[in-house]
Amino acid sequence: MPALGRRRLTAIGGAAALAALLHRPAPAFAAVPDGTVRLRVRPARVPLAGAGHPDTGMWTYDGVVPGPVLRVRQGQPFRTVVENGLDEDTTVHWHGMRLPNAMDGVPGLTQPPIRPGERFTYAFTPQDAGTFWYHPHANGLEQIGRGLAGVLIVEEAEPPPFDRELVWALSDWQLTEDAQIASGFGNRMSAMMAGRIGDVVTLNGRVPDRVTVRAGERVRLRLANLSVARIMALHFERHRPVVVAYDGQPCEPHEPADGRILLGAAMRADVVLDMQGDPGRRYRVTDDFYGDRLAYTLAELAYDPAPPMRSHPRDASVQLPRNPLPEPDLATAERHEMVLQGGGMSGMMGSGMMGGGMMRHRVLWAINGASMTGDSPDGMPPMLTLARGRTAVLIFRNETAWWHPMHLHGHSFKVLARNGAPVPNEVWGDTVLVAPREVVEVAFVADNPGDWMLHCHVMDHQAAGLMTVLRIA
Amino acid sequence: MMNRMTRRRLGTILVAATLPLPALAAPTHAVLYKNPQCGCCEGHAEYLRQEGFDVEVRPTNNLDQMSRLAGVPEDLQGCHLIQVDGYVVEGHVQASTIRKLLRERPDVAAITLPGMPSGTPGMPGPKPGPLQVLAISKTGGAPTVYDVQ
Repeated sequence: MPALGRRRLTAIGGAAALAALLHRPAPAFAAVPDGTVRLRVRPARVPLAGAGHPDTGMWTYDGVVPGPVLRVRQGQPFRTVVENGLDEDTTVHWHGMRLPNAMDGVPGLTQPPIRPGERFTYAFTPQDAGTFWYHPHANGLEQIGRGLAGVLIVEEAEPPPFDRELVWALSDWQLTEDAQIASGFGNRMSAMMAGRIGDVVTLNGRVPDRVTVRAGERVRLRLANLSVARIMALHFERHRPVVVAYDGQPCEPHEPADGRILLGAAMRADVVLDMQGDPGRRYRVTDDFYGDRLAYTLAELAYDPAPPMRSHPRDASVQLPRNPLPEPDLATAERHEMVLQGGGMSGMMGSGMMGGGMMRHRVLWAINGASMTGDSPDGMPPMLTLARGRTAVLIFRNETAWWHPMHLHGHSFKVLARNGAPVPNEVWGDTVLVAPREVVEVAFVADNPGDWMLHCHVMDHQAAGLMTVLRIA
Repeated sequence: MMNRMTRRRLGTILVAATLPLPALAAPTHAVLYKNPQCGCCEGHAEYLRQEGFDVEVRPTNNLDQMSRLAGVPEDLQGCHLIQVDGYVVEGHVQASTIRKLLRERPDVAAITLPGMPSGTPGMPGPKPGPLQVLAISKTGGAPTVYDVQ
């Protein structure tokens, strides 16, 4: 029983490399004539692990994993009919979208669950251009962990000047020896630690693959971490990625610290990659977030042998146009501390806060001493009521020994400070990664009325108490 | 590898010569698999080293699967997993219990101290009271109490 995961990653990666050099195009979505998109949630068998392995039984949107890339236009109405072909309730949460509360997809809070065999129509007009995603908010740990997640792209009204766009939907899976999704969702030790981390990472539903690029081209790479728990620190060998947006919201273009792009579960980054490598060569994209010994190669940039498209990189600005986000007014802001508590090594385990046998979900985590569990409040009142139109500053104080990507629904916030130091580059997001013992301040204008979830996007943590509701009235 | 083999063989001779003093024997090799971000497991590894074990720490994100393969029921899993001399030992088990396991060699797959209780070797804080170390059978029978620490 050696280090199963690492070996599996290598083994499967090797098989796939032999199997195909094909670069699978992102699947288009099926638009019906009236402009409504239909998404069928259903089980399907998917060639996740590649040639030489059996197909994987998964839960899918329209039979593919990840779900179809949905492309919509900023400011244009968007309508989707979701049909539930599962044997359990589901919903769709449009992660990162600033939309009306009733479209947010939280069962028992913003809508009734979509029962098996039923359908629900989501309709909203995206205000913000950027890279977003969609996933269930019902039994989220298992439903996302079995395949239900896809990228939602809202295109700018004026397309920015890139030679090409690549979408990398990154997903992490726990597979059995015969390439099936391992059971054991909600494992207690995983939930107390870093969550359900898998042993196979896929890029657009394929195991690590070659991505063909052309010397001299400028690529907009849309990275989306659709994993239930895995955090990634991506390094591009001999390349200098420039981050131009996080979570769909443009920032000042900058090279990230150490050149590594840190993406917690649910987070996205838009990156400009000037392909300055040598024609015919290959360069690795690696992820070493969990340390050198668990590092792996996510993909290889394989340069076409053709000579560079242009002799010098483009020097034009890569700044994306700002979205119409209201600027927080820090002078009049309400400040609220959100203390993240619990988990392994916290001492909370022995203190009686752990769930007893009668509770539906385990209680291993808390925000300010209160634990909302599962996928929705289940009758628990909001932790805070914010006055509509006021600026709120949330101070995430992580008293745990673990990382937490904290996600707020219905809003994008500005990331102000980490451990008291101002965050440069005008970074906004809907999910902010909070390191162990770190204090992170974010600010937003509470302009979207309704009850909104605020939770950790390590799905095991959310289900076991790292969740609350903010009311904006 | 050569080194370890040599040491082990030397150890056998030493054990034969000085049987009442097992501390002089060559250290027993143990591989401790742990979550890469869990600190208390390192504390247990250090404790076992001080107790004379030769501990190799390997990070993994697949503890739950390894534990399942070893037959340890989910609610009895410890926070890390040690492979030692054909056995799986989970959680913050004290050295004397591991020595007892290796001496008695019962017909079990694993022993486990569930969770990460405070006050156990490698864990800070007060100990809640006597803790049961459970034996996991190879055939899936009910766990039995193997030792109390």
